[in-house]
Amino acid sequence: MAKTSENENFEFNYKKLEKIMSKLESEIDETSLDELMKNYQEGLKLINICRQKLKEAELKIEKINSEYNI
Amino acid sequence: MENITPVSITELTNRIKSVMEFEFKFIYAEGEISNYKLHTPKGNMYFVLKDEKSAINAVMWNTHNSKLNFSPKDGLKVIVKGRISVWDTRGTYQIDVWEMNQSGLGDLQIAFERLKEKLRNEGLFDEFHKKPLPEFPENVAIITSETGAVLQDFKRVAEKRFPLINLKIFPAIMQGEGAAKTVINALKTANNPKYKIDVVCIARGGGSIEDLWAFNDESLAREIYNSKIPVVSAIGHETDFTICDFVSDKRAPTPSAAAEIILPDKNDYLERLNRFQYLIINIGTRKINSLTSDLNYIQNNYFFRKPLDTLNTFKINLDDYEEDLQKISIEKISKLNIKLNYIEKIFFNLSPENNLKRGYSIIKKGEKYISSVNELNLFDKISIKFKDGDKNAEVID
Repeated sequence: MAKTSENENFEFNYKKLEKIMSKLESEIDETSLDELMKNYQEGLKLINICRQKLKEAELKIEKINSEYNI
Repeated sequence: MENITPVSITELTNRIKSVMEFEFKFIYAEGEISNYKLHTPKGNMYFVLKDEKSAINAVMWNTHNSKLNFSPKDGLKVIVKGRISVWDTRGTYQIDVWEMNQSGLGDLQIAFERLKEKLRNEGLFDEFHKKPLPEFPENVAIITSETGAVLQDFKRVAEKRFPLINLKIFPAIMQGEGAAKTVINALKTANNPKYKIDVVCIARGGGSIEDLWAFNDESLAREIYNSKIPVVSAIGHETDFTICDFVSDKRAPTPSAAAEIILPDKNDYLERLNRFQYLIINIGTRKINSLTSDLNYIQNNYFFRKPLDTLNTFKINLDDYEEDLQKISIEKISKLNIKLNYIEKIFFNLSPENNLKRGYSIIKKGEKYISSVNELNLFDKISIKFKDGDKNAEVID
């Protein structure tokens, strides 16, 4: 099963968003309307996923004991 | 002697400067501080270092003295590291101090200095070896005491700042005999790829040089140097420096500061997301507006307006034609009418009835009109048509 954005972590989504943003900002003149709409929707989706992830996050704490004894 | 050209003072000073600064480019000296002055607001320190017989000026610039772990004052015995620099404008020389430690501190301090020097020379503190910290760590390891304020401080900051992480606690003893060994074990464990640790923090609260001694351990220093994962040290408080601090990839002045260094700020990213949203909507709207105005421009372009113009011209022409046609027709008809009247008149003039009126008669033999004497014989019956009636007659000649 293909991974969806929602299942990926914040970093994955944020980096993807940054890529779309820089593409939109630098190549807007060459961007076709179709592409623009695609990036527009994808961008807004990623923004909301990132926001959600930041807002809903809860610190997960785990204790790990040393495996070595030297 | 008179033949020799004298040198300028600048030249002379420059020569003294080059000789002295070359000869004393690294010095390690011990003496007593006197005439200490802290120059505010820049924070440069000026003082004299002396012993029973001699004295020398010294300066410690603010770039170096921020790392001092004590407050200098008159009468304090210190060991300094630095170089001799010559001050051209005054013709004086002084020690340019890079490092200063209180002397007579005992074996621990000396051992610390020795180990620091040894590891520095080996290149363990080299800047190029230091690993960058990840922008978005996912699994953060903290090596610290399970109990105690440090862990709570770190957790508090993490919850506030970037709770997206998995905080993995690798408990260790942070003080006393055997402490270094437990920290080494924890660091080795954290380096096990199965834990997917992105960054590890070694954290401990402040204390005396004896309390922090475990973090001046050579094996621990080498373990940190060899760690595949970036290490942030947060040992003691601001002014306490340990070997761990020098060899780590990043040094934090306190455990809370370490959490801030390691973790991105959630609010910062929420703000960026807002800006992105604004931008993306703005860019989209701008693009669509610009496309729309392009379309309008093209539509209003002469090329596209022309068919309409042409059509309009046709319409005007047609109207003209229609008018012309009407005019011409009327003229034609009236002309024809005149002609017809004329012809009618001629016809009327030429008609037999008209001739009868004028006194002529028409002779018919049976149904045949007679126009010559040769058509008639003696005693032929004929009828003569006058304007007011017919009469029968007989040819007698």
